[in-house]
Amino acid sequence: MFILAKVGIGIMGTVVAGGAMLCSEGFMQVKVHEKQADGTNFSIVVPAALVPMTLHFVPNRKLADASAKLRPYMPVIDAAIPALEDCPDGVLVEVTDPGEHVLIAKRGGSVVVDVNDGDDVVHVAVPLRAAHSAIREIAAANNKDSF
Amino acid sequence: MKIIKIALPVVVLLAGTMAMAASSERYLHIRVSNPGQNELVRVNVPLSFAEKVIPAIDHGQLRDGKLHVGKLSADSVNLKMIFEALKTAPEGEFVTVQENDSDVRVAKEHGELIVHVVDKGGKDKENVDVTIPWDVALALASEQDGDQFNVEAAIKALENVGDVTLVAVTSREETVRIWIDSSSSADSPAAIAKPAAFSK
Repeated sequence: MFILAKVGIGIMGTVVAGGAMLCSEGFMQVKVHEKQADGTNFSIVVPAALVPMTLHFVPNRKLADASAKLRPYMPVIDAAIPALEDCPDGVLVEVTDPGEHVLIAKRGGSVVVDVNDGDDVVHVAVPLRAAHSAIREIAAANNKDSF
Repeated sequence: MKIIKIALPVVVLLAGTMAMAASSERYLHIRVSNPGQNELVRVNVPLSFAEKVIPAIDHGQLRDGKLHVGKLSADSVNLKMIFEALKTAPEGEFVTVQENDSDVRVAKEHGELIVHVVDKGGKDKENVDVTIPWDVALALASEQDGDQFNVEAAIKALENVGDVTLVAVTSREETVRIWIDSSSSADSPAAIAKPAAFSK
């Protein structure tokens, strides 16, 4: 009984530690609402840390093109994302016209994009730290050995 | 009770520091509006963000925080010296051009370089006001090489100037405003003094 309790505590500890690690970089959220009667509605919330972790297992050849395109911009990305993390929350860009409203804002360590047009309402929130890790992972793809 | 006496000043000091840090962020705002079409674009860029990102850009004419503008300086012209001379010159109008289709006025007023253009020709008449604080103009021209503008230094200088409208363009269809203040979500530069109007 005592051994079982020890094993149980070990498993629980691992699950809690793993969960904490997964949640450490916040959550990525994508919400889409199509306005037409039979339109799609879905909302996905994913631990942001999963994205760079998953990218680590994607074969390099699949990322080679994206990596080559990203690499020239890495100095700017490396400067911009941490700088944006340090900025206070607020609206960065807002476009309003009769048929569309687009809002890009920084909220609590995430970049939030809201688009509301005639057909759809889209909400995307991406934690900056996870986005940076994912971009770095893609940019580094060419440097790693192929699977 | 003793703990409260000790902790209270510390808490007040911390809160004050945090409040000062929060309010010290300066923003470059761009607002383009077209009331006829009900279109509005607002861009708010924290200057601290621009200060860190611009030196990292290496694209086209912008490299290492400096904008290369080709042969701006002739052999005997030093842009920096001209700005220095203008800074110490008394306030007043430097250039006034009045033509049938446009008026142009360049002046130094209240420690700022003011450029005012009125385009009277054509169907889409435009007023353009540009206000550049001297410290910003000097920072922009601070490079020894006269063929480049130091954008990074100008942004640092912008952080230290007061609230100011840098560019105001007004036409029949559109208005464009570019200004600096400490508000992260300002709708318009209403509280900021407008650039000097054409005096004549």
